[in-house]
Amino acid sequence: MPPRLNCSAGSGLGRALQRATTAQRSATVLPQSAKVILSRQYASAAVPPIPLGSLRLPDDYIPPTQPPSARRPDQRKAQLLRSYTALLRSTPLMLFFQHNNLTAVEWSAIRRELRAALAAVPAPIVGPDGGVPVDISSSIELQVLRTRIFNVAFKIVEFFDGEAQTGKSNAYTHDLSGTAYKAITEATIDETTTYGQINPLLVGPVAAVTFPSVSPAHLAAVLKILAPSAPAFPAPTRRKNPGYYDASAQSGLQKLILVGGRVEDKVFDHAGVKWVGCIEGGLEGLRAQLVAMLQSAGLGLSTALEGHSKGLYLALESRRTQMEEEADGGKKEAGAGAEETSA
Amino acid sequence: MITRFITEVNTKFNPFSMRSRATRLFLSSLPPKARQQGMAITTSLLPRTSTEASSLKIKFKDGKEMSLDGEKLGIKGIIEEVDRHSRALQKQADLTDG
Repeated sequence: MPPRLNCSAGSGLGRALQRATTAQRSATVLPQSAKVILSRQYASAAVPPIPLGSLRLPDDYIPPTQPPSARRPDQRKAQLLRSYTALLRSTPLMLFFQHNNLTAVEWSAIRRELRAALAAVPAPIVGPDGGVPVDISSSIELQVLRTRIFNVAFKIVEFFDGEAQTGKSNAYTHDLSGTAYKAITEATIDETTTYGQINPLLVGPVAAVTFPSVSPAHLAAVLKILAPSAPAFPAPTRRKNPGYYDASAQSGLQKLILVGGRVEDKVFDHAGVKWVGCIEGGLEGLRAQLVAMLQSAGLGLSTALEGHSKGLYLALESRRTQMEEEADGGKKEAGAGAEETSA
Repeated sequence: MITRFITEVNTKFNPFSMRSRATRLFLSSLPPKARQQGMAITTSLLPRTSTEASSLKIKFKDGKEMSLDGEKLGIKGIIEEVDRHSRALQKQADLTDG
């Protein structure tokens, strides 16, 4: 049996320091006290000041208990989660559909009809805030969601605020971090939160239509194709759009059920989504309506306020003319009387 | 699940209620060619504020009608009930055919 080596704390520290410095290949000179410890290994009481930078793990260090994933990055669930959180943060309008066993042919037929209907929507003349108009119809997509991961992503978007974590020590700001996990597990989920309201919708097979901006014209076009209802959103006629009455498209559409939507962080049901689709001219149209209403109200108010003063003015004016006439008449009468008396 | 002997499915549910879960899952468990093979499936959605319970009514080829309570049975219970009757019909069909 070989003799045991005396491994005191000081020597261990010195060795760790040595390893760290050689690993980093930095030309940092060891502090004097460390050298002393190296030479005299029994002096373990005095802990030398070690530069923290030299004890850092290398950047490409892989812990043996957490080896890197063998899956391709674009197929990892982590990546899917991140793409869902990004989608939820950037998409103001989403429609959720339940899809019951659609075949690939039916999906492609539905997507074809959807693209055709969206292409027919006229492009906006003026962009938001009078800028360059952006045609969003090419970026409206129908995609099947992985419900469970989408559920988690929804929770992260609602209950985890990465920006608030920046000041805290040892807390990460990204969506895959332990901090995010802690935030969503500690969150209280009830009916007041958007997630609490939308959670029952995300059951079973769910697909979503995502709109990059709230555009009722495009929403109406999508509703006419995917969930037609007679007066407001009629399905395209057979003569105008024969492809819509294709056997594959029709059988696919029968299996899609519009269950709800999320508009600007608010949850809407079937009827609510239709109401949003009914807004003519979109947000600009609503603003125009408001402006017109306020203007007409102002006009009415000003005329009402003006009315009294005008009436008063007219009454006084008429009284003045009357008095003047009386005065003139009196003078005339007086003049006539004088003439009479003189005559 | 044996769906050969179902001729009609009528469902009504409020998607915003967790209690409609089993009914919705039953709809998703019907095969993709169900409508082409003569099954009539009608779904009506209740508004969000309604507290009406979800309903699931199934008619079979022999005329039997089932009205199942998805909330109480759960999806497994629904499938069990449907299969219980379908298996009897299957047995009869096998005997007459063979």
